[in-house]
Amino acid sequence: MSSSTSSSERAGDPRIFRKTLLVILLGMAAALGILRLIAELNNASKEGILERVTEAQEALPAIIALEDELAMFFGSSMVHAGYSPRLFDQWLAEKGITLKSFNFGFGGLNPYFQDYLSRRIRDEFVANDRRLALAMIEFNPFQTTKTRWNGALPAVDSFLTMLATDAELLEIAKEDLTRGVRLFTIRYFRNDISAEIITAQFAQSLQAPPQRSDIPVDEEAAARRDEILEALEGKLAEDYPDYNGEEWYWPWQGGPTIPSDRSEETVALIQELMHTGLTDRRMDNDRLNRIRTADIIELQFEEILVESFIRIVENFKEFSDHVEVILLPRNTDWIDYSPEGWKRLEKIIARIERETGIKMLNLQDTPEVTPDMFSDTTHLGRYTGDIAFTRLLADEMARSLNDR
Amino acid sequence: MLFNTPIFFFFFVIFLFFYGFIFLRQTPRVYFILVASLVFYGAWNYKFIPLLVGSAVGDYFFAQAIASAGNISRKKLWLTASVVMNLGILAIFKYADFAIQSVADFMTLFGYEASVPMLNWVLPVGISFYTFQSLSYTIDVYRGDMEPRKGLVHFTAALAFFPQLVAGPILRARQILPQMHAIPTPKWNEVKHGFLLITVGLMKKTAADLLAKPVALAFDSGGPVSLIETWTGVLAFAGQIYGDFSGYSDMAIGLALLLGFKIPLNFRLPYLAASPVDFWRRWHISLSSWLRDYLYISLGGNRNNHRMRNIMITMLLGGLWHGAAWTFVVWGAFHGAIITLTHYLGQLPLFAAFQRGDKRLVKLLKWAVTFYLVLLGWVLFRANTIDGAWSLIVNMHSFGGLPAPGQVATVIFGLTVTAVVLMHLLDRFVLNHADKFENKAWLFWPLLVIGQLACLMIGEPSSEFIYFQF
Repeated sequence: MSSSTSSSERAGDPRIFRKTLLVILLGMAAALGILRLIAELNNASKEGILERVTEAQEALPAIIALEDELAMFFGSSMVHAGYSPRLFDQWLAEKGITLKSFNFGFGGLNPYFQDYLSRRIRDEFVANDRRLALAMIEFNPFQTTKTRWNGALPAVDSFLTMLATDAELLEIAKEDLTRGVRLFTIRYFRNDISAEIITAQFAQSLQAPPQRSDIPVDEEAAARRDEILEALEGKLAEDYPDYNGEEWYWPWQGGPTIPSDRSEETVALIQELMHTGLTDRRMDNDRLNRIRTADIIELQFEEILVESFIRIVENFKEFSDHVEVILLPRNTDWIDYSPEGWKRLEKIIARIERETGIKMLNLQDTPEVTPDMFSDTTHLGRYTGDIAFTRLLADEMARSLNDR
Repeated sequence: MLFNTPIFFFFFVIFLFFYGFIFLRQTPRVYFILVASLVFYGAWNYKFIPLLVGSAVGDYFFAQAIASAGNISRKKLWLTASVVMNLGILAIFKYADFAIQSVADFMTLFGYEASVPMLNWVLPVGISFYTFQSLSYTIDVYRGDMEPRKGLVHFTAALAFFPQLVAGPILRARQILPQMHAIPTPKWNEVKHGFLLITVGLMKKTAADLLAKPVALAFDSGGPVSLIETWTGVLAFAGQIYGDFSGYSDMAIGLALLLGFKIPLNFRLPYLAASPVDFWRRWHISLSSWLRDYLYISLGGNRNNHRMRNIMITMLLGGLWHGAAWTFVVWGAFHGAIITLTHYLGQLPLFAAFQRGDKRLVKLLKWAVTFYLVLLGWVLFRANTIDGAWSLIVNMHSFGGLPAPGQVATVIFGLTVTAVVLMHLLDRFVLNHADKFENKAWLFWPLLVIGQLACLMIGEPSSEFIYFQF
């Protein structure tokens, strides 16, 4: 094999390549620098996006350091809104079981992201040789649908870099080098902010507006609701000057406030808000939104999310003495699955029970929680639904723990 | 390893370091290009590296054999061997299942229900590009258009040269091989142009990704959508495939320029074409010129009495080159038909006058008719089935009976038109004003950074290059 060109012939002056490389590196550094600046200015960071999650993670060392027997309710915003740890602890204590429980319910995290968060919780407990006496895990059907997964796709890589460890990213890289390098780049060069999540943010205004309810607006109720909200804002600030509703607040153990935290006027205002605010139109709009964004009636389940949920249970099993999987109450006035939806749900519950070995505590249609106790079509209302559900849960858990 | 991924960025930076500072002599540099190109290719599926190398080795020796054959029949024999090898590879990996399924479908017409075993083989990335490129070498040598060059590694490196390996442009051996034998040192103005092309390519690719959603709504929703959304989807696909493919080509040309290699233009403002023939002079130029030089002319071209037949065969096979599906065949046939019709009408005095007309209104009319026909072609190209394509074409022309549009449909339509127009404006600017722009450093470099920044801020999940599947 010979070549028409001598191997001793120099290919050219390397200075041009020095300049080229310099331009590539400086150009990319400049573009990334501006990108990070824009992100900073828009509070786009792990702390800004996963605010409550970050704060809960930061609280973990303090939780682990407690000498109490520990319990945790892990799940979605339905847990966040509907579970009151302090009331739970108090009612459980009345039944002779002493625990300190925490509300680890987070909005905006589907089971895929929850899986990674549960691994971080597990890592912290295992590293400190601590165990949970009781782990309660919410199975949320509409968080596990294909529609929900598709809606979350732009956030997947960003959230993954926020929640996964380097070792986990390396595992992904071993399977798919291109994706792995991309994830490491997002983590170390883009401060966890992917192009997809930025685009999704900007493109929100281009989304088709949600379908609106045909039910006419109740002008009187709407006006009163506005008045209550304005008054409530002042009262909440008065009760707690440092109040921040979405924060993982240590004195509340991550859960919502309870009536004893609040002045009588505040509680009265909240209760009035529940009565006047829950107009049929508002509820119907909320239902339509859940259908559009979460397929809440048909429940076409996404395999990735179902597998992730099963992994969540397995993760908790590793550091918990007792694990419960719970289906939270459903607002039966507004949310009714289609016959096919019911069948799919039953099938998926059976699969989760089979694969985790845990019988699911299905409180979907419990009579103790009625539709008027919800603040919308899915979330339990403050000082009504959360109290009723927490009491019911305390009864169930006491029975379950005593039966062990 | 797509050009718009971080892994390629790191690959290229490392490659450039070794290319520019370590392998300073010609031959080691060629070896390095080959190894790096195989790594680049192997990142998708290393199992297909032997196929690529085998193709190169085969055609290298076939070309030598053609050149040294004593008589024309022996030359023909060696050329036939090369054609059989290249088209055989394509037939097995790309068309076998399509052929099997088509035969089975045909048999069902006569009442034979056969359960046919499919090969289900993975399609090697870039196979359609490198087989055509490799084949052009043996044909050129056979025709005496070029002398065979000594140096198997040089030939393999030319064929596998990573900027153009997986999605073209389809280079002729006579375009790339001499450069591989005497690798040029890039000049700074070429490097600047390379940076410009890479940035413009990335921006077009990014815009193409954003157009994927309206395309999916029109083509994949499974039922009729509103009139405006149907047109938006078709226009968006025209923009998507143009931005995706011409963007990739721009990046390929730009990357090659950074290394000192010159790759010819692959797109020249195709949606400004004034006739179907003009469109094919502007769209995927490296493929259309390949088909013209190696297929159409081999069939007789314009010289015999079968010009229309030759055009139809060329366009049919051109359609099939894009993919193993009847939609591509019909797309090729459609373009063949409109080209032959244009030629036929051109023989009529009135139409010939229209074709020659250069008044603004006539030019506008010619452009509008051509663009409309190209859009109809894209429906055939993108639709999942021929029935689906037909339904969509019917819907494009239905003014009643379709669902009402979504509330942001008009905005999306406007944005889609803007994206398609902007891509062409950007390309026109690069074609006509790049020199002046590249010399204004105070403007050039900041705008390039802004362009890169835009691409870092805009992304759609799971964006792939459409032409990789071909």
